[in-house]
This record gives sequence, structure tokens and C-alpha cells, in this order.
Amino acid sequence: MSREVPSPIDPQLMARLTASRTSRRRFIGGSAAAAAALTLGSSFLTACGSDSGSSNSTTDDGSPASGTLRISNWPLYMADGFIAAFQTATGITVDYKEDFNDNEQWFAKVKEPLARKQDIGADLAVPTTFMAVRLHQLGWLNDISDAGVPNKKNIRPDLIENSIDPGHKFSAPYMSGLVGIAYNRAATGRDITTIDDMWDPAFKGQVSLFSDAQDGLGMIMLSQGNTPENPTSQGVQQAVDLVREQNDKGQIRRFTGNDYADDLAAGNIAVAQAYSGDVVQLQADNPDLQFVVPESGATTFVDTMVIPYTTQNQKAAEAWINYVYDRANYAKLVAYTQFVPVLSGMTEELKKIDPAAAANPLINPPQEILDKSKGWAALTDEQTQEFNTAYAAVTGG
Amino acid sequence: MAGVATSSRQRSKIAPYLMVLPALAYLGIFFVVPFFSLARTSLSETGGSIYLPTLTFAWDFGNYTDAFSQYREQILRSFGYAFAATVLCVVLAFPLAYVIAFKAGRFKNLILGLVILPFFVTFLIRTIAWKTILADDGWVVGALGTIGLLPSEGRLLSTSWAVIGGLTYNWIIFMILPLYVSLEKIDPRLLEASKDLYSSAPRSFRRVILPLAMPGVLAGSMLVFIPAVGDFINADYLGGTQTTMIGNVIQKQFLVVKDYPAAAALSLVLMGTILVGVLLYARALGTEDLV
Repeated sequence: MSREVPSPIDPQLMARLTASRTSRRRFIGGSAAAAAALTLGSSFLTACGSDSGSSNSTTDDGSPASGTLRISNWPLYMADGFIAAFQTATGITVDYKEDFNDNEQWFAKVKEPLARKQDIGADLAVPTTFMAVRLHQLGWLNDISDAGVPNKKNIRPDLIENSIDPGHKFSAPYMSGLVGIAYNRAATGRDITTIDDMWDPAFKGQVSLFSDAQDGLGMIMLSQGNTPENPTSQGVQQAVDLVREQNDKGQIRRFTGNDYADDLAAGNIAVAQAYSGDVVQLQADNPDLQFVVPESGATTFVDTMVIPYTTQNQKAAEAWINYVYDRANYAKLVAYTQFVPVLSGMTEELKKIDPAAAANPLINPPQEILDKSKGWAALTDEQTQEFNTAYAAVTGG
Repeated sequence: MAGVATSSRQRSKIAPYLMVLPALAYLGIFFVVPFFSLARTSLSETGGSIYLPTLTFAWDFGNYTDAFSQYREQILRSFGYAFAATVLCVVLAFPLAYVIAFKAGRFKNLILGLVILPFFVTFLIRTIAWKTILADDGWVVGALGTIGLLPSEGRLLSTSWAVIGGLTYNWIIFMILPLYVSLEKIDPRLLEASKDLYSSAPRSFRRVILPLAMPGVLAGSMLVFIPAVGDFINADYLGGTQTTMIGNVIQKQFLVVKDYPAAAALSLVLMGTILVGVLLYARALGTEDLV
């Protein structure tokens, strides 16, 4: 087939090759080739696979967690020495794979086996909230027991009271972050504070937006007086229309996955929709880079740990979540990933190991920024389809 | 005795078929079956949940008309880019293949090796490397700006130039090698003969070398054009919002929008158009002999 890429690469290898910085949301495009191959091949291959049997047991016989725990996480989303410390503390062997590079790609890979309740090679995975909700709605997740994860109490109260999974029964937040605007102060020559600033003719052809409908449209909807917390067809279409208008003018250079960071660092893009954690890392190399939450507000995202119903070690997965939710342990992760903590009261612990991170408003956002940050509502299938289709018509197919 | 002779003759008749069997089986499993599955998908209607869609076969030819009318721009652009890249490949590869075949002498293998060398690095990495080379603040853009040769956008990345350049760069090896093979096969005595008949160098090139190299041009053009039309990596990394190709659309339809019938219809439209184009091209060049 002509559109096949001649050298499909192992997605895990690809992720390592391309994610040159400590950032985990990068290079969706790079993995697209592999994703295409996976999508086309997965149904065929899994059809040939045999049912490996679901040996998961959610019943607690009182014995401590043991055995092997297989974790599937984003690239470069783990602090050095963290896994070794967990293994020493619990006696559980961890088989840690950085093979989660894109929500939709991952879903395309696991949906066939999960639909048949076949093992997916992971006892715990870390999708973004919307994907966790989708898996839950399909009935493919195990509950995370409060008894197995007593440290659940450390989760930020605002996250506990979320409308999507109150009390976090099936999803355990891992990292949170803001989707805002990053800009190169040297290239713009001025500060950017609003969505309208992105459409300044001075930045023609130097603006990038996210190609993902939720990350791309959320902040634009907020600037138009609509909210992703309660999205309507009209509100989304209004945002899409604005993006189309600007795109037709040549204002927008690229619709990006997570590869905007390279263009921003290289000076090809002056203003970009960006993820907070990425920018903290990029600032280390280029102090001219700024991250701002637009005056009209920004959206947040939460990557969340889930236990698929095909897990072979429920107890170890819960032991892992509990270990992550210990504030001292979690501080090590945050110091490494530079994203926003999902646990409350992290300032003290962060100060101990990384005072710079504790003082960074992008890692430890002040209340007024958190107040301006909205999360997307849990969308229905139809809404997801509708919004993705509407936005895809502008982003080029 | 007679029986043995017959059976051995029978065996020798069957042998060629047995030998192509693995290739046939391969084609059957990896081309024919997926092709029919794709064709079936392209005529289906989607139902059920969008995450686990159920496809119902329905002779829905609307998928084709929708796909074509909605994405005509990207389809035409893909063919335009692929055509430009193929022409560029011929122009760039011909002199090189000529030099390797006729002038390189003992360096022939070395030069061929150098031609292949970059392809030890994966396609993706080489394409991403071009992003660095063509960056807005890079020396290429700076130099072109100084001599006033920069496109109207004032940059190279995210323009048609970068995408066509990337396509040319990534596929040119498939032009160089067939061209080299067909040039290499030319009997030097034919050139001597044309010289003996007082033909000038340009004339013998036009009348002797070029016609004999045509199979190489044809094979190379197809090897470059066909993958280039469906390419999406170059448009993804080197292009912008105005340079999306049909490969990008298909990728997005399959992976993001998850409209499998539309994606399958687009794939088949692409395949069909390429097939027609290639047949016309082969007829126009008047050769059935590839290399």
C-alpha cells in the first residue's frame, strides 16, 4: 500500500528517540506512523490471538501484594530511582514500560483485546482523564479500593470533588497540568495575555494550535464566553469558526501534537498553545520562553492511573498507587516531571527536595490561576465524535 | 517405468507453481484479503458506539462522493506535490546515475555506497533533521533571504517548497537506482557507433542514451510517485496548515475522527487514481519493460 511508511518503528523506541527532553506529551506526529500500522494490524492480529484467560482477582484474601506489576506509562514520566525504591519497599517486581505515547493510539491498540477481556500486557496504565472515562463507560476498568489505597486521602480536594469520577473510584490522578499559551518573549517583543494577542498580524505564520479538539478549542471557547465544563455544539462551532478564520488568513503555522516545543525552542513559532510542564523544562534552556494562562482562562488536563479489568495483579497495582500517593514519594516525581501535583499540601515536601519547583507558579499554581482553569466535562460518544469532526475539518482532514 | 517418467514429468510441471506458492500466499494474505476488507469498509455504514463501531455493509457509494468532494483540494495537492517531486527526482538523479554508470570507473561502487548510506538512518529521523536545517533562524533561510530567493511566506518550513523538497529527498534513491541500472546496461559500443557516425554528444544522448534509459525513468517515476502521493510524514513535519496531503487526511480519519468508511473510501480513491495515472503514463512512454 502506497501510504505505508517504509520503515515502521517500534513505538517505544520511537518515543525514546524523539522525546529528547524530559517531556512526556511530545511527538504525537512521530508516532502516527506506528499508530497507523497498529490500527490497521491490530484487529487482524488479535483475531489470531488466543484468549489468555483473565486471571485477575479483585477479592482480597488478606495477604500482602507480591509478584510482578506491569506498568504502561508515558515516556519520561518517571523519576530516576523511584521504581527501585518501590521494589525495595514492597518486594513487588515492576515491569515498567514507556509505551504510552498517545491516548488514541493506545486505545486503538488495546480495544480489541480489552473487548474480548484478553490481557493487554499491563496491570496499570496512565491515560488522560477523558480516556479513563471512555474505558470506564465500556466497563473495562476495575475499581480502585479505598482499603488498598489509604493514601487516596492526600488527593487535592478539588480533584476529589470532580464531576467525572467523584471519590476517584476507577481513576487515580497521576499528574495534572495546564493548557495555556507559551511565547518567545524575544520573538514577540511584548507580553501575551489574551487569546486575541495570538491573532496579532505581527505573528502571522508564527502561531501554533493543538490539533487535539479539547486542548485546542478549550481556551478559545473560554475567551468567547463559553465553557468546556458545559460544552454546547454552538460554543464549539464558534471556536472552530474563529480558528478557521485565522487559518485562512495564514496566521496559524501548524496544528501540533506535542511537537510544538521544538518549533518554539527553534524560533519557528513565536506563540503556541502549550502544556505547562513542557514549558518549565524548556525555560531551562531558553529563559525567553514564557507560559501564560490567558485572562479569559485555560483548561486543565489530568493524566490518571487506571487498572484495566484484565489486570493480573490488582493488589500490586493498588500498592503502587498508594506508594505514589505518599507525599514524600510524590515530590520526587513532581520534581522530575515538572507538572502540577495532584496531591494537596505538596509545597512543604517539594521545598525539601526542589525549592525551585516549589516556588514555580507553573508547578505550584496560585489559587487565582487554578480558579481560571477549567476542565472539560465528561463528553458523550456523540459529543466527542461531533467535536472531533468539526475541528478536524479545519485542522486539515 | 512409464509410470515413473510420467510422474516426474508431472512433478516438473507442478514445480513452477509450487515455487510461486509462497509469494501467492503472501499476496493473498497481505494484499487481497486486506484489500477486500478495505473495499467492504468503504461501502459500509457505521453504527453502534463510536469507540467500538459496528460496520454494516450497505453499498454506500455516498462515502466515495463525500470523500472526494470534501477532500478534493488535498487530493489534487497530493498529486501536484508528488508530480513535482518526481520531476525533480528525474532532473537530479539522471546526471548522477549517468556519472556513476559511465564516468565513475573504479569509484562506481564507492559512489553507489554513498548514495545508499543516508538510508541507513531511518526515514523519520532524516525528515526531522530537515526541520533543523530549514529552521526560520537557520543559515539556509538566512542565506536565501540575503540573495532574495525566499518564498513569499518569508520562510521555508510549513511551505509547499519544504514538503516537495522533503518528498524529493526521501524518495530520490528509488529514482537513482533504477536509472543507474538501465544506464549501466547500455552497451558502450552503441555510443562508439554513434560517434563513428559523426553524431554530436548531445545528439547521441538524445537519440541513444535517453531512449535506452526510458525503462529506468518509468520504473523510477513509479517508485517515487506512488509512495509520494500517499506520504503524510513530510507534510506533517515540514508542512503547515495549507499543505496537508491526502495521507494526512486518511491518517486523521482513521485515528482521530474514526470514520473508517470515509478513510477506506479515500484510500481506494487514491489507489484507483494512482493506478489509472500509472497506466496512462506507461502507455505514453511506450514501454512495458520495467528496468
